[in-house]
Amino acid sequence: MLLFVIKRFGVMVLTALALTFVVFYLTNLPPNLEKLARTEGSVRMTDQAVADWIVQNGHGGSVFGRYAEWLGVAPGWALTDEKGVLRGRCVTNQVQTATYCGVLQGNWGTSTVFKKPVLDSVIEKLGQTAYLMAAVMLVMVPTSLLIGVMSGMREGSKTDRVLSFFSIATTATPEYVSGVVLVAIFASATTGLSPILAEWGWIDRKTLFLGTATSAQDNITFWNFTLPVMTIATYGIGYIARMTRASMAEVMTAQYIRTARLKGATFRSVVLKHALRNALIAPFTVIMLQFPWLLNGVVIVETLFNYKGFGWTLVQAAGNNDIDLLLGCAVVAVFVVLVTQLISDIGYVFLNPRIRLA
Amino acid sequence: MKLFRSLSGLHPAAQMHAEEVRAGKLSRREFLSRATALGVSTVAAYNMIGLAAPAMAQEAKVGGILRCAMEVKALKDPRTADWPQISNVYRGWLEYLIQYNPDGSFEGRLLESWEANADATEYTLKVRQGVTWNNGDAFTAEDVARQFARWCDASVEGSATASRFLGLMDAEGKALREGAVTVVDAATVKLTLTSSDVAVVPNLADYPCAVVHSSFVDGSDPAATPIGTGPYVPKEVSVGQRAILVRAEGHTWWAGTAPLDEVHYIDFGTDASAMVALAGSDEIDTCYETNGDFISQMDALGWKKLEATTAATTVFRMNSLSDTYKDKAVRQAIQLAIDPQAVLDIGLAGLGTLGENHHACSVHPEYFALPKQTMNAAGLAAALEAAGMAETELELISLDGGFEFDASANIAAQLTAAGAKVKHTAMPGSTFWNDWQKYPFSATGWNHRPLAVQNMSLAYTSTGSWNETGMANPDFDAAMARALALADADARRAEMETLEAILQDEGYLIQPYWRSLFRHAKEGVNVDMHPSFEHHHYKWSLA
Repeated sequence: MLLFVIKRFGVMVLTALALTFVVFYLTNLPPNLEKLARTEGSVRMTDQAVADWIVQNGHGGSVFGRYAEWLGVAPGWALTDEKGVLRGRCVTNQVQTATYCGVLQGNWGTSTVFKKPVLDSVIEKLGQTAYLMAAVMLVMVPTSLLIGVMSGMREGSKTDRVLSFFSIATTATPEYVSGVVLVAIFASATTGLSPILAEWGWIDRKTLFLGTATSAQDNITFWNFTLPVMTIATYGIGYIARMTRASMAEVMTAQYIRTARLKGATFRSVVLKHALRNALIAPFTVIMLQFPWLLNGVVIVETLFNYKGFGWTLVQAAGNNDIDLLLGCAVVAVFVVLVTQLISDIGYVFLNPRIRLA
Repeated sequence: MKLFRSLSGLHPAAQMHAEEVRAGKLSRREFLSRATALGVSTVAAYNMIGLAAPAMAQEAKVGGILRCAMEVKALKDPRTADWPQISNVYRGWLEYLIQYNPDGSFEGRLLESWEANADATEYTLKVRQGVTWNNGDAFTAEDVARQFARWCDASVEGSATASRFLGLMDAEGKALREGAVTVVDAATVKLTLTSSDVAVVPNLADYPCAVVHSSFVDGSDPAATPIGTGPYVPKEVSVGQRAILVRAEGHTWWAGTAPLDEVHYIDFGTDASAMVALAGSDEIDTCYETNGDFISQMDALGWKKLEATTAATTVFRMNSLSDTYKDKAVRQAIQLAIDPQAVLDIGLAGLGTLGENHHACSVHPEYFALPKQTMNAAGLAAALEAAGMAETELELISLDGGFEFDASANIAAQLTAAGAKVKHTAMPGSTFWNDWQKYPFSATGWNHRPLAVQNMSLAYTSTGSWNETGMANPDFDAAMARALALADADARRAEMETLEAILQDEGYLIQPYWRSLFRHAKEGVNVDMHPSFEHHHYKWSLA
């Protein structure tokens, strides 16, 4: 087991290295550096000023050398400009503090968009996203398992058909569609349900829910958090429910279930005591796979609802070619994906005694 | 007689303008713009034409928090600020020597008054007395003089100010010239220019020219140590999220008490439909700007519409550095193929006035009315044929949303209808602005500037730093040099005729409309709309 975990961490480090190099290479393509120079300096700089800016801010030279600097295995750049001001990767307040200062030394660099250390930005934003993800999981997992089990325990029944229709419909609707539809129905003062409810006097405010989640960063309420959570959750609900249904339907045809029925056990006890645990193995993997998928989904939903979490940060970083921040996000993404997969593999052992690790 | 006595000592050109207003030759708005640019105070200017200056709105209620939806961008050293949104945050604590008001007049803020000599080569600035910085230091004439050294430092990457005070700079145009700015006494600073410049006053009022304290570190974030003379200080500036201005504790602001306790800028992105949703759910009190279809939607919510008539425009310009548009006949044919009325009506929903393809607007004091152009859409196909370009695809590049997109789509449609092959390429702002000066044919938004020569010298002289057309016409350059030497707008108008005619004839521009700018505010929120998007927080209040 320990060996397995160590191996997994080895893979994680290798993946992170490969991914960060790809991100580093792409963000350091000359047009991207020019774009960075223009957002940092001025939109209307001349080409010469842009070229100067790139060299004077440590983006000159070979891309491999700079990647090594970022990692902390090559000395950080330093430069004294024409006014005698010393600047560089390892320079704070004009003093060279160290020779190496990369990720290995714990220096993740500074975000050019947010003007803050990358680690601070990423941790703060990851915290915001964690709230969103937790809320989504709380809604999504119980709902989808319930729907999946209900429709899988009597395959082909009316309940199954209705629930399957619902699952397929939600999972076939991408977030950017369902988000817009939900906003139009629940969060517009002029269309959808809100004006009707307001007219009947059922709601005090002009809208039933809020179409932006910006205020949820300070204070999460049903009013500002329902729509983003529902937008992500509905997509996952349909998907996990379908998986659970398939798994449940298969288990319900197994010999031991028939035996249990023939022994005279009630349907309720067969489902709860015999079928459920075995039927949950497949959905468990799917649920753990939802974590990396959620990191993905939040990009759209956080942008749509203006919730300033990890996904939104990723969009800002990519849109502004914020090299250090993008790299930080990449490492975090690798970490989240591999750790959740590790948990999923370990969890397997407990659910299914037939599987052994290592 | 009393009126006459009060006039003595004022600038002779201002008195002449006052005569013109009485004779009906000049509008009040133009008069105010011109007279105040010549150093006449707003009150005196109103007096000269026999009107009382508009009193400040009735005693505004003190207190309250105002929430405004606006992009919160990273703050920069003011001289490199490239967006009004950036300046609107630091405006809380950094003030200006001179302020441009929505009525077209210039008002002294940190200057008590100013005067120009007859050919606009010498300016005498009277420094306001009794102003203190929020760290307790007194604001002095040295503070004023020091700003000019900052503004004239051309070695700063991306400086927006260095090109604006060329008359104060040394021979190489790198730094402030020795002796260009002199502190005469504790209350007087004198500017001596090498050549006439009529744009000194409007430039001083523009958003990069915020006045910073002597301890300000060049190139740093002004919110890091927010020492300023203004009534507020920043409590929080989180890029992309929000900026909060709160009243400066223990600071006596020279102009009294600003009504609002706090101003909150919240970044909800730039999606206009989000603004409508935010307004509907009472998340904001006002927005930065409302445009296009959303104006009527915000009206429908019962919000107040605030309008500023401006010389802001979209220029659909061709670039002669591209092979496709180096031929003047082709450019002219393309220009004449566009019916500006259709662009205004369809692309801008009629929310503006007609342009004349020369980037000078009737609200500019020196505007000259050229004879109306005769549009000729039928001539386009023949002109392209003659240039061997019948099969050439014309690619029009624009932003991917808003009125610039709509108007570009309309222009592309009109060109297609006239027989050209046209492709309309839309790009997001983050990509578009990387190469905005180099596209062969694209749509650029230009903000309002108080004088026509300001835009023209920036954009169409061969040395203009924002020249996006590749235009290099020696006659135009020469006429511009002459125009910039004339402090008197009437004298300048003769040169404007040449400038406008050359610019129109060169055919680089399709400049179909002038935009009116709008924003909306909730009932009971007193804010105004400014032609250059300036937020004068001290004028704002809640009922």
